[in-house]
Amino acid sequence: MTGDRPISRRRMLGTLGVLGVAGATGALTLSVPRRAGAQPFGLQETVQDGLKRLFGGRPIKDGAGVIKLDVPLIAENGSVVPVSVEVSSPMTANNFVKHIYIVADQNRIPIIARATLTPEAGQASVGATVRLGETGDVRAIVEQSDGGLLQVKREVKVTVGGCGG
Amino acid sequence: MTRLVLRLIALAVLAGGCATAATDAPRGSSVPKWESRAVAPARGEFRILPDGRREQIRYKGWTTQDFGTFRTYAYGDGHPEPPVARVAMPTSLAGDPARGRALFLSRAKGPCAGCHLIPGDDVWPAGGVGPDLSTIGDRGLSDQYLYQQIYDPRLIFPNTTMPPWGGAGVFTPEEIAHLVAFLQSLKGPLPPEKDPERSPFTRSKPVGFGDNLDPTNNPAVLLADDGEALWSAKGPAGRACADCHREGPAGAMKGVATRYPTYVSAYRRVMSLEDFLTVHGPETTGHLLSAQSVDNLALTILIKMASNGLPVQVDVTSPQARAALARGRASFEKRVGQRNHACADCHTPDKGANKFLGGRLLVDVSAGLTRHFPTWRTDRGEAWDMRKRFQWCMTPLGTNMLAADAVEYAELELYLTSFDNGRPMNVPGIRH
Amino acid sequence: MSDIGKVRIRVPSSIKPGDIVRVRTLVIHPMERIERDQQGRIIQRRYNYINRVVATYLGKTVVAFDITQSVSENPSLVFSFRATDPGQLKVTFEDTTGGKYEGTADIRFS
Repeated sequence: MTGDRPISRRRMLGTLGVLGVAGATGALTLSVPRRAGAQPFGLQETVQDGLKRLFGGRPIKDGAGVIKLDVPLIAENGSVVPVSVEVSSPMTANNFVKHIYIVADQNRIPIIARATLTPEAGQASVGATVRLGETGDVRAIVEQSDGGLLQVKREVKVTVGGCGG
Repeated sequence: MTRLVLRLIALAVLAGGCATAATDAPRGSSVPKWESRAVAPARGEFRILPDGRREQIRYKGWTTQDFGTFRTYAYGDGHPEPPVARVAMPTSLAGDPARGRALFLSRAKGPCAGCHLIPGDDVWPAGGVGPDLSTIGDRGLSDQYLYQQIYDPRLIFPNTTMPPWGGAGVFTPEEIAHLVAFLQSLKGPLPPEKDPERSPFTRSKPVGFGDNLDPTNNPAVLLADDGEALWSAKGPAGRACADCHREGPAGAMKGVATRYPTYVSAYRRVMSLEDFLTVHGPETTGHLLSAQSVDNLALTILIKMASNGLPVQVDVTSPQARAALARGRASFEKRVGQRNHACADCHTPDKGANKFLGGRLLVDVSAGLTRHFPTWRTDRGEAWDMRKRFQWCMTPLGTNMLAADAVEYAELELYLTSFDNGRPMNVPGIRH
Repeated sequence: MSDIGKVRIRVPSSIKPGDIVRVRTLVIHPMERIERDQQGRIIQRRYNYINRVVATYLGKTVVAFDITQSVSENPSLVFSFRATDPGQLKVTFEDTTGGKYEGTADIRFS
């Protein structure tokens, strides 16, 4: 995290006043426009099929030292697992991280999320709370602006209830 | 009409138990009867199915199984603790170690691995409440000893936390024979442990779920918005909370929640803040604020947040508090349900507390368990107050739940909260 | 939680020009999981989950997410952007049933 400290709700409301954070509009639109050329996401597939679909046969190099993948070793609860990925990158117009993929090998839908970044992001750093169906590898796969692919992975052990509680 | 019948049935069940209650509940007779002011699925009532079976009405998605033959926390409950069974292993039974191992790991049964470690990479997540059984076959224990120990361990260890599996009907004699054969097959030397996380004795402690007061991390914080809207909304009586408590929730309610649960003389019982709202709402604004309603929960979170950072200071010295604490402690130590467990089995340091039950670290009553309630439960996607957490505990114990606003739960909550005294409130929490 | 689409955005309380700002955002949403019938077959229907999240700053997209049913209920997402000028940060969530939910934060320097 950055320098933001834990804040109380009171302070939060005060801060909201200063920063002018608005709530949701919650407006409903009636149709979802199909994005042209969008990759299909949310498919049930094996992780191998998913990676092949996304990257074809392109080689994925070891990203250790470049990608920092932060996940708990043990997920007390597989339904909310915080994953964060930070990539060392200058994030300039001709050298930046284009995509960060979060992948869980054992999930029925293994390609969990794709973040698409721009140099304006300033830093290639994203996070999401994800569902993990069972114990298995979580990967962060990075696609650089030159098309190069890097990945790191870590095993997360998912805990199932002790005795109902 | 049907509702009335159900009520009568529920009352009859309670009344039926009262006759034999005297020895069970210390000074139980001095506790007044309480008509639940909870929403329908939180009242602990029953319904009779067309085929005559009885089921308990619980929350949506919860089991409806009736554990009516087992002890409950009701002060009027008349069930005695199941007698200790002395059993002999039937000589006709030949155990199969492979079937025993499957039973040991079966989540439909214990699972035994929830408390005991055995070898195998597939054993996950094993707990460490009971002894490590990885080499128990080397100890030269007789089959009969192990059979008795599984069937009803109280014969040898009267204060054990282990349920009487045979007596409770969870394992049949034949299944216990398979378990015995499996345990006798567990012999050393063990291969070196490859993964420290596999063993509950070397596993790292859970890391938690981050900043509980950050509304982008803990959705329960957003419920306080709903609480604020209720605070200034006029009820059927034409008044709002804000009309009497004029400083706003943060000012007017500062410190209030640190004193709950407390004895409320007008109702001659101990009440948590949630319980108090169920009577205070109808008396003032006309808002019902039923226990386990969304409105009750939202206002509770709002009011408790006004005390965040302030030390809990529940009354533990008045005569009423002392009597209630004694009853609450008796509940904490009372063995209930199919598994004949007490709260104390899992949550006191000389027993299960601070050990892993399966993959979960059991909390320690002496650290104070209540000051972050209501708390967001990440695995349920809901904010729960202490009472819904109690009600949830009832199912693994194998005992019927009481009404969320039952006096028994209020006094148990007071006993638990007495350990929070002096420690800062921190609501809403976030837990698995 | 009943209020689908409530959005919260959290940014640091003090931001200086040129800072890389770390943003955390949450939306209340069920993110429906795939259901199965009693035979274990997947029930085919249109599940309601958020599949697209776009963050814009000064009207320009800084990061977008394509997300799936493998993301948790009430998803919380984290991203960064470089604060160059005062102005609005907007995060828009879209779900598979046409729901569109927005939250905004005014970025000011202190």
